[in-house]
Amino acid sequence: MKLVLNLLILTLITPMIFGAQIVLQNPKVNELAPTFSSMDSNGSVVKLSDFVGTPVILEWTNHDCPYVARHYEENNMQTAQKIARDKGFIWLSVISSTPGDQGHVSPKKANELSLTRNAYPTHVLLDESGDIGMMYGAKTTPHMYIIDAQGILRYKGAIDDIGSGMKFFKTSFADATNYINTQLDDVIQGNSLKVASTIAYGCSVKYNYD
Amino acid sequence: MRHMRNTFLALSILFCSLIVANPVDTGHAKASLITNLQTADQESFYVGIRLQMQEGWHTYWENPGDSGSPFEAIWKTNTSTIVENVQWPTPVTIPYPPLMTYGYEGDIIFPFKVFRSMDEDLSKISVDVDFLICADICIPEQASLTLDLTSINPDPLLDIAIKNLPTEFIQTHSTLNGDQLQVTFKSSKPLSTAYLFPRENDLFVYIPKHDFIQLNENTYQISLPILKSNFESFSGVLSLDGKGFQFKEKIQSIANISLWQAILFALIGGLILNLMPCVFPIISLKVLSFVSMGGDDHRKIKNHALTFVGGVMSTFLAIATALVIIRASGSMIGWGYQLQSPVVVGILTLIMLGIGLVLLTNINIASGLTTLGSNVQTQNNYSGSFFTGVLAVVVASPCTAPFMGAAVGYALLQPSFATLPIFLSLGLGFAGPYLILALKPEWISALPKPGAWMETLKQFFAFPMIATALWLMWVFMVQTSGDTLIELLILGLILGASIWMIATFKSHWKWSGMLITLIAAFQIFNTLPVSSNNLLENSSADSWNLETESKLQTENQAYLINFTAAWCITCQTNEKTAFSRTRVQEYLISQDIKYIKADWTNRNEEIAIGLARYERTGIPLYIFWKPGMNSSKILPAVITEDLLIRSMQ
Repeated sequence: MKLVLNLLILTLITPMIFGAQIVLQNPKVNELAPTFSSMDSNGSVVKLSDFVGTPVILEWTNHDCPYVARHYEENNMQTAQKIARDKGFIWLSVISSTPGDQGHVSPKKANELSLTRNAYPTHVLLDESGDIGMMYGAKTTPHMYIIDAQGILRYKGAIDDIGSGMKFFKTSFADATNYINTQLDDVIQGNSLKVASTIAYGCSVKYNYD
Repeated sequence: MRHMRNTFLALSILFCSLIVANPVDTGHAKASLITNLQTADQESFYVGIRLQMQEGWHTYWENPGDSGSPFEAIWKTNTSTIVENVQWPTPVTIPYPPLMTYGYEGDIIFPFKVFRSMDEDLSKISVDVDFLICADICIPEQASLTLDLTSINPDPLLDIAIKNLPTEFIQTHSTLNGDQLQVTFKSSKPLSTAYLFPRENDLFVYIPKHDFIQLNENTYQISLPILKSNFESFSGVLSLDGKGFQFKEKIQSIANISLWQAILFALIGGLILNLMPCVFPIISLKVLSFVSMGGDDHRKIKNHALTFVGGVMSTFLAIATALVIIRASGSMIGWGYQLQSPVVVGILTLIMLGIGLVLLTNINIASGLTTLGSNVQTQNNYSGSFFTGVLAVVVASPCTAPFMGAAVGYALLQPSFATLPIFLSLGLGFAGPYLILALKPEWISALPKPGAWMETLKQFFAFPMIATALWLMWVFMVQTSGDTLIELLILGLILGASIWMIATFKSHWKWSGMLITLIAAFQIFNTLPVSSNNLLENSSADSWNLETESKLQTENQAYLINFTAAWCITCQTNEKTAFSRTRVQEYLISQDIKYIKADWTNRNEEIAIGLARYERTGIPLYIFWKPGMNSSKILPAVITEDLLIRSMQ
């Protein structure tokens, strides 16, 4: 009995010690984007390699984060999704919140959110482990990435130039420069981007850190 | 969510409508406005925004780290009152692995300095604070706070908060090493933890702990991973055992001069070294010996030239290796440092004087020394050529200091694998002419035919050597005392006599004089300290320390810093032709420029660190700053009266 108890404690403690070994990667722009595969909200497996030949946008999201909430409430994110998809981009919304944390949703809830908010992503990826988030160095929601048709990472960073803090809640989206909408054509045509890397702002991604 | 925002709006309207709201419960914190105003006639005082956050909640520093944002405060005051920007308290790390944020937990006070003119009476002061408060999740909260300054109620907590602000500056020195920035600093107190909070938000990877090592008794180094390597300056707060210090640093030239450029400069520098007053005679003698070998035996000339090159190169290699070893032991070293020891200066004085005297007599010291063991007539007497190479480098050392500064300085700041090639390149440049001679021995015939002119030229070369000896004697006197100088001069006399003996007598006894010289030299130098503490006196200049610059900049005081030493001949020339001139001194006084001297005549680690901040390891170095300049400026190393005044305008 005592042995079983000890083993139980050991199995509980070990992940605590080794669980701390999480490292956020920092992929470089103009290099091959890290490949991944993930379950989407409809239960199918989505791989980045499925989209070779098509440009892809990654959006890190958390519907309860005040920054994300404002982007959706004011239809800013949906507009960006619409523009991008009309230009032939694949839009992947990624949720890296760990179960029990803010923003974590069931597949059903994820689809409900898309429906009620008129969101227009190609897929919603449920990255519960946070693996994709860490692979891409996603720090905030929203955190945006553009990958071109050749699989090269072309943009990483903020969605627009408003920035963090109260300024965000006071500035109109109409006065902001959206780094995604304005650079899609350059990605398609293979031109170099005017802004290829910015500091993302928003809530922190709710990784599993305990 | 829209619902919630409307509630916020309604609440904030409610707060605004209240005349005095203080403190305010914002949801996860209690916000209040406090002051340290003591009397109604104070022109400047502080107000503080105090946030008492619920347990587990935090808000952010000016650089929030991976996510979050600093608070914003909009003040409402009457026209005669100015509220300065917030003075950020020392932050703490708030890790949410793999993310890292910087901020404050618990009960925190943000002090603001307030100035007011006495035209208007004290009244109310109001502020709208918007802040992001986070635990696992983040919530933007806000408070409208009003403080009535007419009823004076100083809060001692604000004074404690002000006292704990990171206002003190700390000097740091940073070098890039791969993807790590290594920051060196000093602390008189023993330290157990250090964390560097960078103010810029796009330069570093935010990690929970910075590698922290103690280099020696009071010098420490922390390493932090960088995101990009092409930045020029950075600033922030260095938290040492929880106490914060401000730092601001410029990173220079790390990318400005590449290894290949440094190697090229070293090569050219080495070549120029041949023309130095202390080297030229030695070198010329070697050429003369080639000339006297005649134009016929090319193979012999070639071998001798190669042996000479070998002597030069092995000496440079030995110096480079020694420097790498000394540096590995953690000492701060700079070029020219060898002249900081009076023993080295004394020995060099005697060598210079000895060579001068030998040149005046008709003995060949290299062949003279080899007569002891072997036959002069041997065709393969190459040890002479080898040791002439060694000697040439040794006598060149005082001259390398002022002229080789840039290349040698760069070499000493590089990792070992780069130090060695730079020194070898310096050696190669130095030995360059002989290397060419070795490859093309027939070119020797382009020189005039051997003859009596050679003897005359050789004797003439004695004078630059003796002049060098005189300068070294002066350095020696500054380092020690007039009495000790007399002892050195007596040694010089004994040396002169023994050289005369060697030149005059034939028997083996002629060497006894040299033996006596050596014993006497040993006796005298043995009593000297390796490095003495005498300082170069100068009444018109203030002395320097590591904090001088940041202190003067905060005081808005213009300054001119002169990094100098008695053994630095360029420094001394500049001293005479520029700094000590009346016009310069008058200009400094009229423009209220503080003149500061950092005297490196003797070993001083603080000055070595100071120089390293400008990516230098040698002197002269002149630094000028006046209010309005973003950063201090480095003045030319060779400077005249006019140039000096012009560069300060």
